[in-house]
Amino acid sequence: MADAIAVKGVRAAQAAPPPPAPRRLRNGFAPAVPGLAFLLLCFMLPVLALLLRSLTQPQWGLQNYAALLATSTYANVLFNTFAVAGLVTGISALLGLPLAWFLAVAPRFWSQLVFGIVILSMWTNLLARTYAWMVLLQDTGIINNFLIWTGIIQNPLPLFGTMAGVVIGMVYIMLPFMVLSLRGPLAALDASLFQAASLCGASRVQAFTQVFLPLLAPGLAAGGLIIFVMSLGYYITPSLLGGAQDMMLAELIAQLVQTLLNWGLAGAASFLLLVLTLSLYAVQIRYFSPRRGKEG
Amino acid sequence: MLMDFARLGWMRWLLCATAGACTLFLLAPLVLLIALSFDSSPWLQFPPPGWTLQWYAQVFHDPDWLASFITSLEVGSCVTVLSVLLGLLCGFAITRGQFRGREILRGFFLTPMILPSIVLGIALYSAFLWLHIAGSFAGFVIAHLVLALPFSVVAITGALEQTDKSLEDAAMLCGAGLWEARVRVILPAIRHGLFGAALFSFLTSWDEVVVAIFMASPTLQTLPVRMLGELRQDLSPDIAVVSSLLVLATALLMGLAALFQKESAR
Repeated sequence: MADAIAVKGVRAAQAAPPPPAPRRLRNGFAPAVPGLAFLLLCFMLPVLALLLRSLTQPQWGLQNYAALLATSTYANVLFNTFAVAGLVTGISALLGLPLAWFLAVAPRFWSQLVFGIVILSMWTNLLARTYAWMVLLQDTGIINNFLIWTGIIQNPLPLFGTMAGVVIGMVYIMLPFMVLSLRGPLAALDASLFQAASLCGASRVQAFTQVFLPLLAPGLAAGGLIIFVMSLGYYITPSLLGGAQDMMLAELIAQLVQTLLNWGLAGAASFLLLVLTLSLYAVQIRYFSPRRGKEG
Repeated sequence: MLMDFARLGWMRWLLCATAGACTLFLLAPLVLLIALSFDSSPWLQFPPPGWTLQWYAQVFHDPDWLASFITSLEVGSCVTVLSVLLGLLCGFAITRGQFRGREILRGFFLTPMILPSIVLGIALYSAFLWLHIAGSFAGFVIAHLVLALPFSVVAITGALEQTDKSLEDAAMLCGAGLWEARVRVILPAIRHGLFGAALFSFLTSWDEVVVAIFMASPTLQTLPVRMLGELRQDLSPDIAVVSSLLVLATALLMGLAALFQKESAR
C-alpha cells in the first residue's frame, strides 16, 4: 500500500509539467535572499561607504593614505600595533605549547580540570577579565606589592598604562586560542613515534626538538596566525591597559571618529587594518585550513 | 616517551610546573574578581580587611545597572530570534540548494567573523548617523545581528548536513509540501543545531562591546557599554560585583552545556 502511494507519488512527479518559473528561481536559492540582502545592505554597503569616505574626504584623492603613512605619530601607532601583536603571539605560543601538551598527556582528572579553567577564562566577559588586570597591574596592585614584599624589587614596576601591561592582558585573552588550536595536532600525534626515536637512541631533548616540534609546527603556526590577526585589530584591552604613547591601530581609528571627527583618515586606517587582516586570513586559508590538513 | 605521562622523566616536572603556572595565571584574575566583590574596603585592598555584601546591595538597587541589564537582554533576544530565522533559511539554501556558487555564498555568510569589530563599528555608525538611527534600539539589533548571523549559519548548516535529505523527500512523498516537510520533520531533527545557533547568537550580542560603543547613546546602553563607561572613570567595587555575577553565569552555562552534550550523546 505504502509502496503504491510512493510509486504514485514518483509517477506524479515525473508526469508533472516542466516548471513554469525560470529555473534559477526554483533551484533553492530563494531562502538565502533575506539573509543575503541583510548582509549586503547592513554590512557590505556600510563598510564600502566607509572606505569610500577615505578617498573623498575632505576632497577626492589619496591624501588620507599619504598622511597615514608619512606622519611619524601614525607610523609609531603602526609600529606599536605590530610589536604588541608579535609579542602576544610569541608569548602565547611559548605558554600555550606546554599547557596543551599537559592537557594531552596528564591524568584524566587533572587534564579535565585544567581544560575547564582554560574554557572558563575564555568564556568570561572580556571587560570582567580586563578589569581584573587593571586591578592587578596598578603601581600599588597585588603584583607590585607582592614583588616588593618578597624583596625582588624596591620600586613598583611600571605595568599599568604601559606596553608591558597591554601585552600581559592580551596574552591572558589569547592563550586559550593557542591551547585550542594545538589540541587537535597533539591528539593526532602517534605515541609510537617517540618510542621509535628512543629506540634509535634519541634523548628526550632530541626527540622534542627533532620529532615533537616539527610535527606541531603547523598547529603552532595556525594558532599563532589567528592570534596575530586578532591582536592587530584589538581595541578594548589596549585602550584600558595601555597609555597614550602605546596607542594601537584600532584605538587610533576610534579616536579619529570619536574625538577628532576625521572620517577620511579613520576610513584610511580602517582600510589598512582590513587589508592586513584579509591578507593574513588568506595565508591561513591557503596553508593551514583543516581541509588541506586532512588531504596532506 | 614524550606522549606518555609516566615516562616523561625530568621533563614531567618541567611540564607540570609550566602548566601549573599557566593555570594559575588563567585562574587568579577570576578568583580575584570574586574576592574583590566581597571586599569591605572600597579601595580594592587585597587581601581584604573584611567581608561585606554591601556592593551587591548597591548594584541591585542601582536603576542604571538594572536598565543596562534589561537593554542587553532585549537586544540579545531580538538578535537571537532574527539570527536563528535568517540562519535557518540560509542553511536550507546552502545545504539543499542546487545553484552555482553555493560555496561562495557559504563563505560570504562567514565574512563578518573576520572583519575587525572596530571597522564594522565605525562603518555602521557612519551609516546610522546618515540615516538618523544612531543610538536607537534598531541600530543595536542590526549591528549585533551582523555579528551573530555567521555563528547561526555555521551551527545550522552543520546540523542540516548531518540530517538525511531523504527524510524531507519521504515527508513530501507522503503529501507534505516542501516547507511543511521542513518545518514538521527537519526542524525537530536539527533541534540541537538550532539550540546551538540560538545560544551563540545570544552570547555574541550579550558579550559584544566594541561595536556597541558606537551604537549606544547616553540613555540606551547595554551592560558591557555601561561597564566600559565605569571602567574609564574609576575602578569601583560595583564592577567587581557585575563581573563576578558574569563569571558565575558563565560557569553555570558551561555546566548546562556539558549536561546537554551528555544528553545528546546518549
